[in-house]
Amino acid sequence: MKDLGAPALMGISKVGKKSRPIKPDPHFGPPLKCTKRLKEIMTRHYMLSRYAEGAKPVAWVTSGAPVEVLRPFGIYTVYPENHGALCGAKKMGPELCAVAEEHGYHQDLCSYARIDLGHYFSGKTPAGKLPKPDLLFASNNICQTVAYWYKALSHYLKIPLILFDTPYNFREITDSDISYMVRQFEEMIPVLEQVSGRQFNYRKLQEYVRIGKDASLTWGEVLATMKSRPAPMTIFDAFGHMVPIVSLRGLPLALEYYRTLLSELRERVSHGVGAIKRERKRLMWDNIAIWYKMRDHSSLFAGQGMNFVTATYTNAWAETTPYMDENRPFESMARAYSLVILNNNLNSRLELMERLIKEYQVDGLVIHSARSCKPYSVGQYDLKRLLMERLEVPSVIIEADITDSRAYSEEQTRTRLEAFFEAMEG
Amino acid sequence: MTRKEYIIKQKKMGRHIFGVFPAQYPREILWAMNVAPVEIWDPPLEITGANAHLQPYICSVVKLGLELILQGKCDDLDGFLFPHTCDSIQNLASIVNDYLGMEKPCYFFYHPKAPFRDSSRIFYMEHLKGLAALLKQQLGPLDFSKLNQCVEQGRQVTSLLRELYNMRASGEISASNVQFYRVIRQGEFLLPDDFIPLLEEFLTASKGRSVAGPAVILSGVLPNPPEILTLLDELGVRVADDDFLSCSRRLLVPFSQARDPFEAMAETYFAMPPCTTKGSSIDERLNYLFGKIEGSGARGVIFDMVKFCEPELFDVPQLVKELKERGLATLVIDSELNQGLSGQLNTRVEAFVEMIS
Ligand code: SF4
Ligand code: SF4
Repeated sequence: MKDLGAPALMGISKVGKKSRPIKPDPHFGPPLKCTKRLKEIMTRHYMLSRYAEGAKPVAWVTSGAPVEVLRPFGIYTVYPENHGALCGAKKMGPELCAVAEEHGYHQDLCSYARIDLGHYFSGKTPAGKLPKPDLLFASNNICQTVAYWYKALSHYLKIPLILFDTPYNFREITDSDISYMVRQFEEMIPVLEQVSGRQFNYRKLQEYVRIGKDASLTWGEVLATMKSRPAPMTIFDAFGHMVPIVSLRGLPLALEYYRTLLSELRERVSHGVGAIKRERKRLMWDNIAIWYKMRDHSSLFAGQGMNFVTATYTNAWAETTPYMDENRPFESMARAYSLVILNNNLNSRLELMERLIKEYQVDGLVIHSARSCKPYSVGQYDLKRLLMERLEVPSVIIEADITDSRAYSEEQTRTRLEAFFEAMEG
Repeated sequence: MTRKEYIIKQKKMGRHIFGVFPAQYPREILWAMNVAPVEIWDPPLEITGANAHLQPYICSVVKLGLELILQGKCDDLDGFLFPHTCDSIQNLASIVNDYLGMEKPCYFFYHPKAPFRDSSRIFYMEHLKGLAALLKQQLGPLDFSKLNQCVEQGRQVTSLLRELYNMRASGEISASNVQFYRVIRQGEFLLPDDFIPLLEEFLTASKGRSVAGPAVILSGVLPNPPEILTLLDELGVRVADDDFLSCSRRLLVPFSQARDPFEAMAETYFAMPPCTTKGSSIDERLNYLFGKIEGSGARGVIFDMVKFCEPELFDVPQLVKELKERGLATLVIDSELNQGLSGQLNTRVEAFVEMIS
């Protein structure tokens, strides 16, 4: 039970089975062998999660929280956002959201939160069972929403909530911001000792920070293989393969997995094997995936000879890794976690996107305006305009949602994408 | 005097005018640096240009604020201040600063989020001083004794507001709901030199019996659409108190005895009434609401939500559930700002009032 991860991963493995068309799609190259290994890891972790409740302290954690600090305490971690993505991919979003709505949660709220609350009220989940938490650990480095959502959970479950508060970087990060976050780490240690019944072990923390950094760097290298032409995988593959870096961060298993994946991808690159057979155009994706449309979109774009080779979303778990330093674990985690894309001003986002477009030789951009996610979506209309002005990259905005398919219009999306495909050929 | 006339007058007097977005900010620092902060909550505009920058699912506080800028109505301002109130304001701040090519200085003010710890206090103090240091580059140094005077003026404003709120809670105010909020909201742009006499005058003039009808508490971001106040007046309902972000949550702050003005401001911030935007727990918010209900004899709470306002909408289900369990009536409405009350909302408010009468 040492390297436990999110139980929802098991469900994702089932999604993996379904997410590939039953008849092989002629537009795709050979599937990644590693997918099988990913499923094994997920299954194992799912099995272990069933025994976690009662045997180990369990924490529900937000995707951007500095989870390394929980690891030395042997706390089992569950990621409700991953679970939300899984429910979305299994097309259970509307059903679970509706349960939360019956309890008064407005349809305009983030659907990851509504799914999680819907699961809390109904117990429904495609992942078998989620272990009940003893602790909630959230960081507002991705949004304030998680703070509201976890506050609601804390009230219902009557358990403590630790909020790691990361000041938004309107300009450069300051020393005062860093000290504030370091002090918060120091303040949370006694709480974690109490919840876990274990004493804090600094050396162990250093070890987890080192492993977490190595895994994130390796994940970065995995993504970087997509700079090759043809790219050895698509961003839709990466959306699935990113689960360990979100859920198992800091654990040796994640590092081991990404090393295996990296060598397979390098092998493909050296033999010129592409994720899609005819890679004519290369695209970038902005924002979280539209989980219930992954398969449709991946076939649609592959059919056009268009491959997504980079995304701001997948990049988020690699981007600030270099700041991690086991010799200064708190300070370096403060920097790495507060400089993530969603906690940074929009100018840095623009610069990041410009860099990715150049490095990955991107021809076009698909922007998902996600109704759930205001911090990711507000500013996208201007980003589209500025990227066109600066780099002449054509782009399209899809108005949708991450998991609640009721906010998705098939017709409107088709019309917009057809216009985009035309512009890409122009 | 209208807001516009007031701004022109202040400008002529040599004051710097800053557009300040919701909600909480250290106004005393601005006053002391010769700035008239003009708050931007719900300007009466039609949204046109802002739709090219913001998605349909963004609240109208943010949209109207941007619209005000795009329509050139902030051209005479000397700067903007964006407190970190929510994700939408945060990104709006960045759009204005990074993408609109504005020449005006934009300042940002981050509030630590609860639960407040020693780290939060240290950070907040440093942040107050950091803001003053940034403003200094544009406005010159901060005069410490002036700041002390401004902190004292802030206390006077609060004390008058508290008196007004107390009178209203105990049914000793003859002013209508509309009149009450019209006066309170003048504080969104009047400097204390002008706001204090206005409040004093209003206090004296409106002493008297409140309407005899049922009492309610309003909760939400701000008293908008204004038609709701008119309707409640017509129905003989007394708004006995409020839990508005723009009103009691940031105006009725406890006094600090600290002699250092920065410490006084910090103490005040941490002792402010509970609020969604600073991460207060549901229990704190419930206790605050129950306190208001007990102090005023209110029979119900109307949650007047701004559409798409995540911070508020997240707390509502738990607040409603617990209020109902205590036998209190609740009504949740959500609307876009300045869009009036639809026929359906009108009917729902009337039905609610009938229920508590
Ligand atoms: S989808 Fe956006 S708003 Fe929802 S939890 Fe994720 S980052 Fe926060
Ligand atoms: S109404 Fe709500 S979402 Fe809009 S700016 Fe105010 S706090 Fe933010």
